[in-house]
Amino acid sequence: MSEEEAEKMLLDLKEKAELMVDLAYSSLIYNNKELAEEVYELEEHIDKLKDELQKLAIEDAKKGELNLNEALAIIKLATSTEMIADAARDIADVQLREIELHPILKESLLETDEIFLRVTISPNSILKNKKLGELHLASETGMWVIAIKRGDKWIYDPGKDVCLKENDVVFVKGNKEGKEHFLALAEGREKEL
Amino acid sequence: MKEMEKSPSRGKLPKWKEEELEEVEYEPRSIKDILIEMKNISELIVDLAYSSLLFDNKELAEEVKYLEARMDTLNYEIRLIAMMAARNKRDAERLTAILQIAEAAETISDAAGDIVDIISLKLDHPILPRLIRESDETIKKLVVSDKSKACNKSIAELRVASETGVRIITIRRGKKWIYAPKKDEKLRAGDIVVGVGPKEGLDKFNAFLEGKTEGL
Repeated sequence: MSEEEAEKMLLDLKEKAELMVDLAYSSLIYNNKELAEEVYELEEHIDKLKDELQKLAIEDAKKGELNLNEALAIIKLATSTEMIADAARDIADVQLREIELHPILKESLLETDEIFLRVTISPNSILKNKKLGELHLASETGMWVIAIKRGDKWIYDPGKDVCLKENDVVFVKGNKEGKEHFLALAEGREKEL
Repeated sequence: MKEMEKSPSRGKLPKWKEEELEEVEYEPRSIKDILIEMKNISELIVDLAYSSLLFDNKELAEEVKYLEARMDTLNYEIRLIAMMAARNKRDAERLTAILQIAEAAETISDAAGDIVDIISLKLDHPILPRLIRESDETIKKLVVSDKSKACNKSIAELRVASETGVRIITIRRGKKWIYAPKKDEKLRAGDIVVGVGPKEGLDKFNAFLEGKTEGL
């Protein structure tokens, strides 16, 4: 495994783990089974990544490309990430089970300072065909994009050069106060940042 | 039962853990308040743990350890309260879902604690050296000095994001954490602020919080 490959895989684990925790709680907040199922899919994906990564770390240690501590670090990180993924799945599981949710549950989840949104970019939105770098969403709306789902493809932690496209499903995080503004922008009701 | 091993009354605890438990032990709170805090910690701690590893930052690792200890206490408390609250089968069923989430939140914080333990493996270099070079963002723990002009000013007044590009992800005030602080949150002397942003922006913000500069 080249250094580059290892980095890519580790970064992938980190981003997916974070996203899964967000998605899992959101599935409960929005009573959304579809989100919960996405968590399940991601969890399977992380399981596979973990196995792959651990094998590669052992192989590279055998070849002498990684020292023992480095290989161990990668193995441990993969294990911990999988543990986070499993926990996120357990949270989403509550949504998928046919049990009535306790009213306290929803109240608690809704009453947090940081909120999470899942919005589809409308054809009329001014966010369409703009790079994240030029939009300055964090300073203008207090919300930032943590992932984009474009068709079947996921873009995690998108960089400044990523362009938002029509019909992109964007996952954003941020302060409560920014919610309405961001929704209006994405849905094309608000034409100014 | 595996999870009972983590209950406050058992085992040898590291110093920071004892300290943490002593402070919060019998604080009567509602299930709702505890669950809110557990959700907040579980989200924050994942970010902090990976960041501390990626940026090889021991101070952030310490924050993760504090949060992990806090989570242990909260999970213990919520279980106690839930058991006392269940009056019939329906109650118990609905409370089970809450405990499942609490347990998952605690597992997340344990995993985060394991991640920061990797730092102590004494690697010759951080695992992701190239990432740090290429990424224009970094994370830093900052302390608000009583000499700083930032004291008693809100994040909005200071225009932190627009002046420095720094996003404040958490503030620790004594034993209390403020997660994803709102814009009207005022900074106080002694606050520990964790900020993410471009290096120059963080340096500028740090100089201001240390009282070395008069403004942003």
